[in-house]
Amino acid sequence: MEDIRLIAEKTKKALLDAGAQKAQLTVSETETHEFNVDGGEFSLFRTLFDRGLAITAYKDNKKGSIAVNRLDDDSIRNAARDCIMSAESSIADEAFDIAPKQENQVFRTGAYEPDIDLFFERTRELMRQIKERHPKILMEQMIVNHKKIHTVYQNTNGTEFETFKGAYSVSLMYSGHEGDHTTSFFSSDIYTDRLDKPFIELGSVEKDLADTEAQLHVTELSGKFEGSIILTPSSLGSFLGSIISNFAADGVILEKTSIWLEKLGQQVADSRISISICPEDSRIVGGEHYTADGFRSESFDLIRNGVLESFFLSLYVSNKSGFPRAKSTSFSVVIEGGDTSYEDIIKNTKKGLIVGRFSGGQPGTNGDFSGVAKNSFLVEDGQIKGAVSETMINGNLAELLNNLISISRETVEDGYSVLPYMAFDKVVISGK
Amino acid sequence: MLEDHISSKKSLFSTGVHTELREQNSRSRRVSLIQGNPTGNMRTEQSGICARVYQNGVYGFSSIAECSGQAAETVLKAATENALFMDRHVGRGKGPLPVISGGALPAGSEIADADQKRYIDFARELDAYIVEKYPGLSSRSVIAMEDSMEKIICTSDGYDGHICAPRSYIYVFLNTETTSGTPIELFHPMGGFGVFGDNFTDPALLYPEIDALYERLMQKREGVYAEAGYKTVVLGGMMSGMLAHEAVGHTVEADLVLGGSVAGPALNKQVGSQLVNLVDFAHTAFGKPAPLPVYLDDEGTPAEDAVLIKDGILTGYMNNRESAQHFGMKPQGNARAWSFSDEPLIRMRNTAVLPGKDKLEDMIASVDDGYYLVTSNNGQADTTGEFMFGVCTGYEIKKGKLGRALLDTTISGVAFNMLKTVDMVSDTLEWTSSGFCGKKQPMPVGMGGPALRCKVMIGGR
Repeated sequence: MEDIRLIAEKTKKALLDAGAQKAQLTVSETETHEFNVDGGEFSLFRTLFDRGLAITAYKDNKKGSIAVNRLDDDSIRNAARDCIMSAESSIADEAFDIAPKQENQVFRTGAYEPDIDLFFERTRELMRQIKERHPKILMEQMIVNHKKIHTVYQNTNGTEFETFKGAYSVSLMYSGHEGDHTTSFFSSDIYTDRLDKPFIELGSVEKDLADTEAQLHVTELSGKFEGSIILTPSSLGSFLGSIISNFAADGVILEKTSIWLEKLGQQVADSRISISICPEDSRIVGGEHYTADGFRSESFDLIRNGVLESFFLSLYVSNKSGFPRAKSTSFSVVIEGGDTSYEDIIKNTKKGLIVGRFSGGQPGTNGDFSGVAKNSFLVEDGQIKGAVSETMINGNLAELLNNLISISRETVEDGYSVLPYMAFDKVVISGK
Repeated sequence: MLEDHISSKKSLFSTGVHTELREQNSRSRRVSLIQGNPTGNMRTEQSGICARVYQNGVYGFSSIAECSGQAAETVLKAATENALFMDRHVGRGKGPLPVISGGALPAGSEIADADQKRYIDFARELDAYIVEKYPGLSSRSVIAMEDSMEKIICTSDGYDGHICAPRSYIYVFLNTETTSGTPIELFHPMGGFGVFGDNFTDPALLYPEIDALYERLMQKREGVYAEAGYKTVVLGGMMSGMLAHEAVGHTVEADLVLGGSVAGPALNKQVGSQLVNLVDFAHTAFGKPAPLPVYLDDEGTPAEDAVLIKDGILTGYMNNRESAQHFGMKPQGNARAWSFSDEPLIRMRNTAVLPGKDKLEDMIASVDDGYYLVTSNNGQADTTGEFMFGVCTGYEIKKGKLGRALLDTTISGVAFNMLKTVDMVSDTLEWTSSGFCGKKQPMPVGMGGPALRCKVMIGGR
């Protein structure tokens, strides 16, 4: 196949020839090796050879984007022409822009070439260890893959970033089964560039499996009360995703519906809460090196000691709103450990839930959330009383951040994020 | 039309194994306006060839982003080697799949491609209408989109075919604030199967639906929180469609049954009241084309309806050829793949609760203290059948009459328990097809149902 840098150069020329005044493009080639387990048995081995070209071009402050995977000369010219035609049909907006010239760099991260034999052995070992140590677990689906990615990014300001990246991802979906008892499904995900440890020891896989087995027998919870919730790192991640999309992301800032619109630089959370985006943290595997707009990625604080330090904005919405852009467009979230052990957080809980997974509707624009606490345990008087089912929790995301009880010393590093357990108060918990 | 590079390669299929070869082009067009700002203007086109080989209970798969005879030969070779690797290392030792009779489906119609300008102009006209008629809104968004799949399918046994499946939609989102300053939002999808140019000829034809959406938003503006608890409700057709898909449909996908879903031990047992009937329609429902018709799946199985619940009894699963062999059932065309680089998975097509004999107004009149729940913005379910749906449009029912609108809330329950509480089923049916089902790969699906009177948990505040 033709060298992808050459394809990038041809594309840039085709865009300029077609009338682009500004443009950025990414050419990629990927190779994926993937094993699947279904219903507890190996089922599939896939190898995928993919490539792609993604272009965004601007003409007279109008923007067009296109993505194709045919990369011969004619297809490149057609893609460039179609992209400019799309832009010409669109609406002019002076806020459209790309990053100014950045220092050209080559990034090499992770395990670029896979060790397929060892990877397969680690996967078989994981299956074997789950069967031995967690016999009540039925693996609904396991998807493990290695993806090798080579990309070249170029823009018309002269920036070029070339990336060689490879990593192994392990994704498990399973449930507990014993006689007539069945648990809700649960998933564990890890992303790693090393094969030196059994997969079961990475992230929270072993604990997740043990917790799922412990959910086989449920405790009845009736009535409604206001109590506390202890979010596991996994469920905390999904709450953080909702907080960012509801209060700090492009859409809500552009629409001006975010309740944090006037809060930049102000206290929006308990002063013990700091939420950082760290795309090149050593605990994040294969993070982001440059943003979607072509800036070199940097770490930044979304919230520092409870103060809203940044929104999560693209260059476009930054230019539209006047707020600074986010220094990274990845979701490499890091919350460092706190001062209380997970065990003590439970001991200090009068009445509440350990929430392993939240199955809820899209929180309202104001942050109201309502949904089912899945894979969750009832805690009363400092002790875990058992798993719960059909239990709902209701609250408000913004209020939650101000009702922090404590942050665990322990954190989980799964390759995607670094997150602790966090306990929050004043959540409405209702059983059947 | 997609040029056929694969039919001539059937002679290269290995004997004694089941082989599929697929050439595919997937296309999407999308324009987004938020507050009139052009936040998205995107065209994508992805094409390639894949092969899958089944040998002794394991599959090998390979794909390449290229449409050529050489690419077909490359993926056939790689998929065969992958199947051999798996057979050698995990050795499930199963026999071949049962052979199904062969044939060929005629090619579908060419998918016409509208200029991006058409999407942009249409979205701008709708946006201008909203701005002019409803200036008091706090924000608005209009999205115009089309996605389509064109596939050429060749199999070692079963049907070959050339499939064209476009769909196109317009989504309108309107936002305002309640009297206490709480932001609220409602959205409405319009469109369905077919290309953008056929589905959307005149923006003015959509104005009544936008007006109705605004009316619902104004009612919600004065809305109240639902009272949390176990309540009698009337689920509207969209909500029962979501129930059919999320809470029941997924549990009766045979791969999830093998993964331990609640439907495993429930086969041939009563899982709902006798009023409950559930079918996954292939291409025709009630004498009309189903919302997203499927005539042939990616394993070469001609599609036919899958009856899942009859008179409240769970009667079957949705299968691929391998799971059908396992359960002793007939494959009915549910194995579908999203992209050329995806393997076929067991997927729903057009899943619906069947209508009954009751009138909606009688159902509402029969509820002394409950809720009429109309639209949802989100739904999730578990393999245990435990479900959660977000409710974005709903109303109180007090003494048989509709009352105040509801602010956003959530309902939950366990499907096979909740279905047993169904005691009235309306004689109407409402379909939706604008979303994607997520299960390793996305997939367009249709879902539908009548209004159901039943009992669920509802979240309040």
